[in-house]
Amino acid sequence: MKRSLLSLVGLAALVSTSLTPVMAEEVTIGAEAPLSGPQALFGVTWHNGIKMYFDEVNAKGGVNGKTFVLEQLDDKADPREGTLVAQKLCDDDNVKAAIGPFNSGVAQASLSIYGECGMPQLVFGSNPALTTQGFTHLFRPVANDFAQGGLPAKYAFETLKATKAAVIHDKQVFGQGVATIFTRDFEGFGGTVVSSSAVNPTDVDFTALITQLKSQSPEVIYLGAVMPQLALFAKQMKEQGLEAKLIVPDGGYTPDLAAQAGKDAAQGVVVSFQVPPMDASEPLKAFAAAYKAKFGEDVGPYSVYGYVIGQIAVEAVAKAASTEREDIIEALRTIKIDTAVGPIEFTETGDLKVAPVFLYAVDGDGFKLVASSE
Amino acid sequence: MTGIIIQQIFNALTIGAIYAMIALGYTMVYGVLRLINFVHGDLFMLGAYVALAGFVLLAPGGGLVWALAAALIAIAVFMVVGGVGVAIERTAYKPLRNSNRLAPMLSSLGLSLALQTAVQITMGPQPIAFQSLFPAIPLDFLGARITTVQIGIVVAALLLMVGLKLFIARSRLGVVVRAVSENRRTAQLLGVDVDKAISTIFFIGPGLGALGGVLFASYYGVMMPTMGIIIGLKAFTAAILGGIGSITGAVVGGFLLAFFEVFGTAMLPILTNGWLGTEYRDIFAFLMLILVLLFRPAGLFGEQTSEESMVMKRDF
Amino acid sequence: MAGPSTDGARAPGSTAESAPENAMVRNALRAGLLLVVITLVLVPFQSTYAVRVADSILIYVLLGIGLNIVVGYTGLLDLGFVAFYAVGAYTYALLASPQLGLHLPFLVILPIAVILGGLAGILLGFPVLRLRGDYLAIVTLGFGEIIRVLINNADTVTNGPRGVMRIDRIDVAGFTISRPIDFYWLLLVTVAIVAVIAFRLEKSILGKGWAAIREDQDAARGIGIDTTKAKLAAFAISAMIGSLAGVIFAAFQRFVSPESFSLQESILIVLIIVIGGVGNILGVFVGATVLLLLPEILRDYAELRMLLLGLLMAVLIVLRPQGLVPRSFGPDRLLAALRRR
Repeated sequence: MKRSLLSLVGLAALVSTSLTPVMAEEVTIGAEAPLSGPQALFGVTWHNGIKMYFDEVNAKGGVNGKTFVLEQLDDKADPREGTLVAQKLCDDDNVKAAIGPFNSGVAQASLSIYGECGMPQLVFGSNPALTTQGFTHLFRPVANDFAQGGLPAKYAFETLKATKAAVIHDKQVFGQGVATIFTRDFEGFGGTVVSSSAVNPTDVDFTALITQLKSQSPEVIYLGAVMPQLALFAKQMKEQGLEAKLIVPDGGYTPDLAAQAGKDAAQGVVVSFQVPPMDASEPLKAFAAAYKAKFGEDVGPYSVYGYVIGQIAVEAVAKAASTEREDIIEALRTIKIDTAVGPIEFTETGDLKVAPVFLYAVDGDGFKLVASSE
Repeated sequence: MTGIIIQQIFNALTIGAIYAMIALGYTMVYGVLRLINFVHGDLFMLGAYVALAGFVLLAPGGGLVWALAAALIAIAVFMVVGGVGVAIERTAYKPLRNSNRLAPMLSSLGLSLALQTAVQITMGPQPIAFQSLFPAIPLDFLGARITTVQIGIVVAALLLMVGLKLFIARSRLGVVVRAVSENRRTAQLLGVDVDKAISTIFFIGPGLGALGGVLFASYYGVMMPTMGIIIGLKAFTAAILGGIGSITGAVVGGFLLAFFEVFGTAMLPILTNGWLGTEYRDIFAFLMLILVLLFRPAGLFGEQTSEESMVMKRDF
Repeated sequence: MAGPSTDGARAPGSTAESAPENAMVRNALRAGLLLVVITLVLVPFQSTYAVRVADSILIYVLLGIGLNIVVGYTGLLDLGFVAFYAVGAYTYALLASPQLGLHLPFLVILPIAVILGGLAGILLGFPVLRLRGDYLAIVTLGFGEIIRVLINNADTVTNGPRGVMRIDRIDVAGFTISRPIDFYWLLLVTVAIVAVIAFRLEKSILGKGWAAIREDQDAARGIGIDTTKAKLAAFAISAMIGSLAGVIFAAFQRFVSPESFSLQESILIVLIIVIGGVGNILGVFVGATVLLLLPEILRDYAELRMLLLGLLMAVLIVLRPQGLVPRSFGPDRLLAALRRR
């Protein structure tokens, strides 16, 4: 898969010279995410990842004579808007599959709408409860919270030999989800969680909390949050001289972590991510460079996942007997695809069959593999 | 233990200085127009972006050149965002000066949304790393660790606030501004140039807010298009706490709110034996605000004497 | 400050005199009303998406009518109205879902939710009795945030940020209300009833007390109006309507989570009544339609959507600071104009 990620980089450079063949059949894929408001960062850059792959495929003339159109809709991370988006996509017969929602709450509100119109849905929300409700149209090409919170706990206790951990989360579905799993597993191994605190998802100042943590002298700090909070926390930890190993979830796997926290503060921060090692982070940097060349801005925290979901959607349409929604669902059910993050298959409930998680530590300008779930 | 207390006091002072600088903008505009200027938080954000553009354009090296460039950029930020503030007042508030009080407030809400989205579209939604204006050197002080950036922010904010206070109290233009905020109609009858006063307010307020944005970005090292929403709301709360319309009140309110927040984070879990965690910090801060307003309905430094002079009789 | 504001206090009969004499205006009004009725009738024949949008609009009309009582009639700026919406939504969600294992019928929960909403309104009303203008605004805003943060933090009861899932459908006397179209009819009936109640209240003696408080609080107290009682009544009644809207919202979406009750929602509801026309029920309808349809029309513009929406909002308010439908043109005026030949 090192090759696949590298090749996408080369191809992305060619995208500007689009050579769409004349007789291609257009397949519309709907994609919803927060494209405005405070969470726009995640939605926009995630969608850009999808767009990047669709453009590559279209530049090659499509797959099986089909080219792909991405219909992007903004849900502002609001469940109510999410239901409207879902219904809009459902009512539009041209839309053959839906990617999203990005947030678990929005997803929960619109699951049944997508279900009723038989829309193949590639959801990104990581709340484990989403796939336990018997929906057959639903696939989640991303690890749920169980996988991401578990490995860091094991790593902290067994490899770092830490017995005292402080847990912090942002009181959001994802952050609290992974933090809860970390706490459960870390205590299960026999470790002690000295304190468990919550911050606001909009906070930028953690100095007061960090000062309190200093007096508790934890060996490990697990922070269930997203960017830029991860970088801000690392920076402020360093400034106050709080010596503990900081472990964060996948949002931190980006060059921004070191850029925003400062290279010094970011050193040694451990990040969980689902992409297997790619010889340091050269391909990731190359992906970031291609992304920047295409969109004129830095790569976002979930752009790589967006690219992968694009790969899955295209493969499912190519593999399906027709472009009917039900055929695409069937294709997704049995899909086996080698994506930029490794081979992907789905279970009965639509979760990933294998959801490997890897732990990386910031090392110099890149990331170094320190543990894996395999 | 003393180390922790001193550390927390410095944490609060730094946050408070930033709140206070933004609260000043709210309070000045309110004093003259009785308007909650929601776009103020976004002008704060714009300040950081203008500063970044300045650094990219000038690409200063090190040492003295850098210090000079930083000073130039600070002035440029003040001028540019101040100009934007005046332009906003002319187009979006001036036509509404004689309508009900809700109208300009909502016009400012609309502009706030537009400005945020415009920056998001042109600069991208990502947080952008921002290099600090001051070199960050950690100093150990009675068991606490304080960086020069924190000290720089508090000093810079205090200097600007004292400057503003002097400007309002001593300068000719300051007299005009005070006359207009005392009573706009009477001032107009006495031949005071009301438009000039309002333009001055809309230049200085956003300018100060924008410098607050630069201080904020250099302290936290990050800026993003939505950073003005929450900070703006907090600063507004601080202005209310201190008594809106009062410059001293805005400053005291800013520091007080910061102390409430730091106290809430540090002490709530300890005082309640873990029953209430740090997630209740904002509830604590708001309850303190309500408590203050119960005893002083016009804030700490607001005019308490006559309820009537506080707001116009009919709000909308 | 300025503007025709005394209509609220005027007797319904006397408004006919000031109704538009012009036959053309009258015909235009009739045509407009006919258009509205035709639209309402045609909605069920549109796509499910359109019906869903209509449902959304009607929920916000309900919220707007509720908030209008405090903001429009009584003149108190409330930036935390979403708290009552949340109280209603969570009451239904918790009493009719697997979350607590309770599955009470809709008709039992409805009065519970409305009463709880009213109590929450009084709870907010007490500390803010002495506050005015923006001090009131910030405290109500704080109240809204406190309720949201409490819901987000009380994981054991509310399931925290994950929200309450699989909320029961409404089942009344064997009829299941679950499709968007069912909700359309339910909402249409509810809105009609609530609008009539709100209109009657505005014209009642209590409504005149509110109008007096709005115009001059001290004078109102001077002429013997119990401002404390009148204000608390305004808060309680408006909160009850907000809570009612919350119940229907929870049953409609069948999932509630704290993110649906953010400050942005409160601001949206204020915008609805201001853009429509403060203190006017007709304005609420217009405002909700404009502010919910605009984002839907602009939805295809992705990132540009919010930029356009923001600019349009500012332009709209600069052009029509009194709102699209001025306060003077209330339902009574409309009816009077239509009745005259």
